[in-house]
Amino acid sequence: MRHSWWRWLVGILLVLAVFLPSMTWMRHQITQYKTNYKTPLDPTIMVPGSSASQNRFDALIKELRKETKTGHSVLKVKVAENGQLSYTGSIRRGDNQPFIVVAFENNRDGYANIVKQAQWLNIAMKDLVKTYHFNHFSTLGHSNGGLILSLFLERYLSQLKDVKVERLMTIATPYNMESDSTTTQTAILKELIKYRKQLPKSLTVYSVAGTENYSSDGTVPANSVNQGKYVFQNQVAHYTQITVTGDETTHSALPQNKQIVLLIRQYLLQETLPAKDRYQNQAQNQVDSRNATDDPGLPQK
Amino acid sequence: MRKLWGLNQRLSQWRAIRAIKEALRVVYPFILLMTVVDVLGQSILANDGFFFQIYHIGSWLPAIAVWRMAARVISIVINGLVAVTVAFMTANQLARSYRSDALAVGIISALSFLTLNVNYQALGRKTTGMSQFMEENLGPQGIFLAIVVGLGVGWGASHLMTRFSRWRLHHPRFGQPSWTGRVIWPLTVILLMMVAIGYGLSLLTPYGINGLVYQGLSSLVANPGHQGVVIVAVTTISNFLWWIGFVGPVSLAGNSSVTSLQNLSYAIQHGSGWGAPNLVTLHTLGDAYANFGGAGMTLSLVIAIWIGSRQASYRRVANQTFLPNLVNLNQPTLLGLPLLFNPILLVPFLVAPAVNITLAWFALTWKLVPPIVYPVPRTTPGPLIAYLGTGGDWRALALSLVCLTVSVLIYLPFVRLLNQEGGGNHAA
Repeated sequence: MRHSWWRWLVGILLVLAVFLPSMTWMRHQITQYKTNYKTPLDPTIMVPGSSASQNRFDALIKELRKETKTGHSVLKVKVAENGQLSYTGSIRRGDNQPFIVVAFENNRDGYANIVKQAQWLNIAMKDLVKTYHFNHFSTLGHSNGGLILSLFLERYLSQLKDVKVERLMTIATPYNMESDSTTTQTAILKELIKYRKQLPKSLTVYSVAGTENYSSDGTVPANSVNQGKYVFQNQVAHYTQITVTGDETTHSALPQNKQIVLLIRQYLLQETLPAKDRYQNQAQNQVDSRNATDDPGLPQK
Repeated sequence: MRKLWGLNQRLSQWRAIRAIKEALRVVYPFILLMTVVDVLGQSILANDGFFFQIYHIGSWLPAIAVWRMAARVISIVINGLVAVTVAFMTANQLARSYRSDALAVGIISALSFLTLNVNYQALGRKTTGMSQFMEENLGPQGIFLAIVVGLGVGWGASHLMTRFSRWRLHHPRFGQPSWTGRVIWPLTVILLMMVAIGYGLSLLTPYGINGLVYQGLSSLVANPGHQGVVIVAVTTISNFLWWIGFVGPVSLAGNSSVTSLQNLSYAIQHGSGWGAPNLVTLHTLGDAYANFGGAGMTLSLVIAIWIGSRQASYRRVANQTFLPNLVNLNQPTLLGLPLLFNPILLVPFLVAPAVNITLAWFALTWKLVPPIVYPVPRTTPGPLIAYLGTGGDWRALALSLVCLTVSVLIYLPFVRLLNQEGGGNHAA
């Protein structure tokens, strides 16, 4: 009988040798799933610039819808000065790439207002995440909207538990406000640079500038847009600056500029563009980058 | 039970059944070795293997790529050609019972089986990168076709050869036929027939007869919906097909089906599987509670044999195939006992999974256990699947153990019934 007693002991030990590590493995797996999990819902948050309403992106959205087969639905949120949210439109059931436009009742320019608008954006984002249960999103900011978004990402994103931002595209965002200077930093730029370490390391940023002439899109100086590099470069995963020239490059026309629509589709929405569009886009970028760097000796790929 | 025993005895008298059983007995050691290699390859060396995962083997075993390659090579050679071997052995045994030239008939049968599995799509193209044979049909999933071919050719070739010899006896002026003379005519006739059949089939379907059956079955099994009854029916049909030798790809729906993914994302968002959108699926019922050891709950068959069998050969097969059954690779058990074409074991082979699915259905719909939501490796030991898949729910583990016990109890009387079987076949 001693023989069989040993057998039982060995059997139990074997079972434990499988069971215990498998439990550890399981716990590890589940945490892995939780951290890597992405909700199917992948909204694009759009924030307009100063003096613009929640309808600011209608022309752009119309363009985007025209080109893509997936009819992105649009939800518009307006934040009142007291933080009250009013919704128009809706996210269509089954649409995993909706656009959410967040605008503010107080949409005035200036440092103090932009700081407040970032707070209001935070209120809206909290409500959106609570309602729609997404845990990742991309964002598009036009003009000061890009400043609001950058401030929000630095200050408030960490308040949204387990929510990640994947891509940020700013169009003609004056990181140094209306200043043309490359040396003096305005209050907002100082603020953004001071807290840049809070920006998520996995973020991909595209900063698109438009120029009518060699220095400005008529409203925002190209130098001010360029100052964005001091905020993002060496902090986020990728920071790409793109300059668009040609027709429709005044500050307010930029969001519906054909080239920029293509850039949004390609980089922000990560669509697979038809070859002709892609080619056109690349050709444009190459010319632009040569203009920007002013280095014609560089071999073009 | 007595009737079943009678049926078993009557079937055992059949020449064909005897030939099949004998063929499977001969093939068994090859399958066993292949499965042991597969156990190593799939559960210990492969990235998604259970033991690979829980013991983090990739991080400490040196030269893992070499080990993987070795396992892969052996698996390709033996696993990939097992059906050819079965075709050979079945015809060989049948010819022996006809007192014909067993070796020649066996080779003709193996060649015929290959002829039927020529890839007509690759034919006539110079560089397609396609294989000349439909390779997947030469492995375990081709066993049924191999048996059919083996029986057909074994019968046909034996008779042709006998006829021919007799004819030569009647016409002595041609002299004694040589070995070549005896083999070449049946070989030619049968190969021509097979080419005709194979070509005809290739016009109907590009995947061969085997592929056709498999496609049909896979689409049937792939999406049985959320009806408990349908799931039981599909599982039973699938298990019956295993019993007649359709071993392999008609396996249960895995971790990656849409419903499973929906459940997974629900569980991640809500912390557990309670309330998951797809409560009753083939995955949450069948994969979790009715597939211990593989199709037909064969892990419980092994345990039942340990408890109740006095047949030395059964006990030996059970001992040898316990480990493969633990990681849900039960081919050697099916072929070794053999369970295939054994009418007595067919009953529990179909009933045990059906009962388990029913139990699981009640447990799930009465909210006694949560559904499995987290993916588990295919080689996870059966009783652990539900526990790990629910994220460590003790009730699921308890239900698994209940299912295992119930299945053992279902198998036990049939295993005991087989104790009466004696004599020649099983003394070996």
